[in-house]
Amino acid sequence: MSDLSLLVQMGFGALLALSVYLPLRCGQLSLATPGFYVIGGYVAALLSTRWPALSGAGTGYPLTSLALELVVAALVAAAVALVLGRPVLQLRGIYLAIATIALVEILRVLNLNLAWSGGAVGIFGIPQPFAGPGGYALATWVLLALVCWLCARLEAMRLGRAMAAIRDDELAARCMGIPSADVKLTAFVISAVIAALTGVLAAHFLNTWNARQGGFDASITTLAFVVFGGSRIWLGPVLGGLVITALPELLRPVGDLRLILFGLVILLGPILFPQGLITPERLARLQQTLRRP
Amino acid sequence: MVHLLQILINGLASGAVYALFALGYTLVFSVLGVINFAHGAMFTIGGYLTYLLIGGAVGANGLLAGWQLPVSLPFWLALALAGVGSALVGLGVEAVAFRPLRQRNAEPLLYLISSLGAGVVLVNLVQLLMGAESYSIPASTLAALPPALALGGAQIRTVQVLLLLVAALLVALLTLWLEGSRGGKALQAVAEDPVTARLLGIDSGAMIRLAFALSGFLAGVAGGLVGLSVSIAGPYFGIGYGLKGLGVLVLGGLGSVPGAVLGGLIVGLAEALVPSELSGYKDGVAFAILFLVLLLRPQGLLGKPVASKV
Repeated sequence: MSDLSLLVQMGFGALLALSVYLPLRCGQLSLATPGFYVIGGYVAALLSTRWPALSGAGTGYPLTSLALELVVAALVAAAVALVLGRPVLQLRGIYLAIATIALVEILRVLNLNLAWSGGAVGIFGIPQPFAGPGGYALATWVLLALVCWLCARLEAMRLGRAMAAIRDDELAARCMGIPSADVKLTAFVISAVIAALTGVLAAHFLNTWNARQGGFDASITTLAFVVFGGSRIWLGPVLGGLVITALPELLRPVGDLRLILFGLVILLGPILFPQGLITPERLARLQQTLRRP
Repeated sequence: MVHLLQILINGLASGAVYALFALGYTLVFSVLGVINFAHGAMFTIGGYLTYLLIGGAVGANGLLAGWQLPVSLPFWLALALAGVGSALVGLGVEAVAFRPLRQRNAEPLLYLISSLGAGVVLVNLVQLLMGAESYSIPASTLAALPPALALGGAQIRTVQVLLLLVAALLVALLTLWLEGSRGGKALQAVAEDPVTARLLGIDSGAMIRLAFALSGFLAGVAGGLVGLSVSIAGPYFGIGYGLKGLGVLVLGGLGSVPGAVLGGLIVGLAEALVPSELSGYKDGVAFAILFLVLLLRPQGLLGKPVASKV
C-alpha cells in the first residue's frame, strides 16, 4: 500500500472514530457506525454505477456528482437515524450497544441477500472522481478537518455542554431542563451522517462495495479507536483512529505476529490508559509546558 | 409430519449449542455485570483442542504444520479435557484482561475493549500455530454408534441427538449446582451484591475466577460439539457463534440461566424453520428477534426489570 493510500485509510479511521465518539459523549454506547458507513457506501455505489447521467461527458467522474452523492447519503443516513433513533435510544448501556450490533448485523444479512445491492459479490467498477490516492487523501482530510471543527465548536456550544451533562448524570441534566431525548437523538443523527459521508468516499476509493465492509469487527475496531484515544475530547478519537488504522501497516515487518500485537494493543490500552491517551487534563498540562519551556 | 420432527430436532440441537454458549456469557455477566468478548475465542480453542486430543494432525499452513499429539483419546475424554483446557484459558483471560480493571473499579466499557483484545490475541495465536484452514472431527470417532437414528419414521443424525443430550446434561448439572450447593449459592450471592457477599465471608475474587472457569468450560465443550456435528471452520468460527450467543443472551434476559436456555432454543428453532430457499437470511433471524424483543421488552424474556434511575 502506498503512503498516500495509508493516509486515506487513516483519515477514514479518524472520521469513523468521531462518529462513534459523538453518541458516547452523551453517554450512549452506539455501535451503529459501520451500518451507516455501509449505507453511505451503497448510496455512492448505486448512484454512480446505475445512473449514467451522473458520469458526465469528461474522462473522470465529475466532482459535482460526488458532491450530490454526499448530500444524498447524508440525507438517507439522517432519515434512517431519525426513524430508528427514537425507539433505540430509549435503551441504555449494554442494551443499546447490543441493539445497535443487531441493527448492523440485520443490515449486513439484508445486503448479502438482496438483489439490488449486488448480493455477496457486491458492486464493482465504481467510477473514480480522482486520478490517484492523492486526490482521495485531500478530500478525506478536508472532510476530517470540517468534522473536527464541527466537534470542537460543538464542545463549546450549548448542545455540546448538554451532551456532557447527560453523560455525567442524565437525571440531573433533565432536572436542569435539558431535553435529553432530543439531545441524544441529535448526536445519533450527526454521528450517522459522518459515517455515511465517510462511506461515500470509501466506496469510490475502494472501487468496489459489498456487505463485508461493515460488520461486528468494524463496530469493535471503531470503538477501540475511541477507547484507545480517549472519549472526553474530540482530539482523542481522531488520534486513536489515525494510530490504530496505521498500526497493522506499521507492524507489517513482524509478519504473522502483527494481528497478535494489534490485539495486545487493544488489550493493554484500557488497562494502562483507562481514560485514553488524550484527556483534557493531559492537554492542559502539555499546553503549559509548551508555554513555559 | 416426519419432516417437521427432523426440523425440530435439528433446531433444538443447534439451539442447545447456543444455550451453552449464552450460559457462559451469563455466568460472567451475573458476577461482574460485564460481557466477556473473549468468550468466542474460548469456543474456538475448545474445538481445536478436541481435534488435537483425538489425535488429529495440524494442517500445512500453521507453524506447527504436520505436528500431532502422541495420544489419540476417545472423543468423550477429549471433549472433557478440551473443556478443562478452555477453562484454564478463561482463567488466564480473567487474570490479564479483567482483574487489573476490576481492582481499579474501571467503567464497564473498558472491560469490553480489553476482553476483545484478549479474544483477538487468542484467535490469532491459534491461526498462527494451526493455520486458517478448517478442520473436521471424523465421525469415525463415534464408530460404536450408528450414523443416523430412525425415530418415528424420521432420519435423525446421531450427532444431533448427542449434542442435545450433552447440552441438557450440562445445563441440568449447572442448575443443580447453582441452586443446591454452597458454592453455587455463594456465586449467586456475589452476583446479587459483591460487597455484602464479602462481608459475609465469601471470597468474591475466587467466585469470579470460578465463573470464568465454568464459562470457559461450557464454551470449550460447545466448540468441540460443533466441531463434531459441523466442522471447525477456521480460528474465527467462534466469533460468529459468539455474536449470536450475545443475541441469545439478551433475548433470554441478561444474567438469567433459564433465560439463556430458552433464548438458545428459540433462536435454534427459528433458524431451523427458515425455509431452505431463504437460507441466506438465516443469520439475520436471531438478530431480528433480538431487536424486536429489545424494543418491546428490554429486560429480555425471563430477565428481571431493572429499576431505572431516569
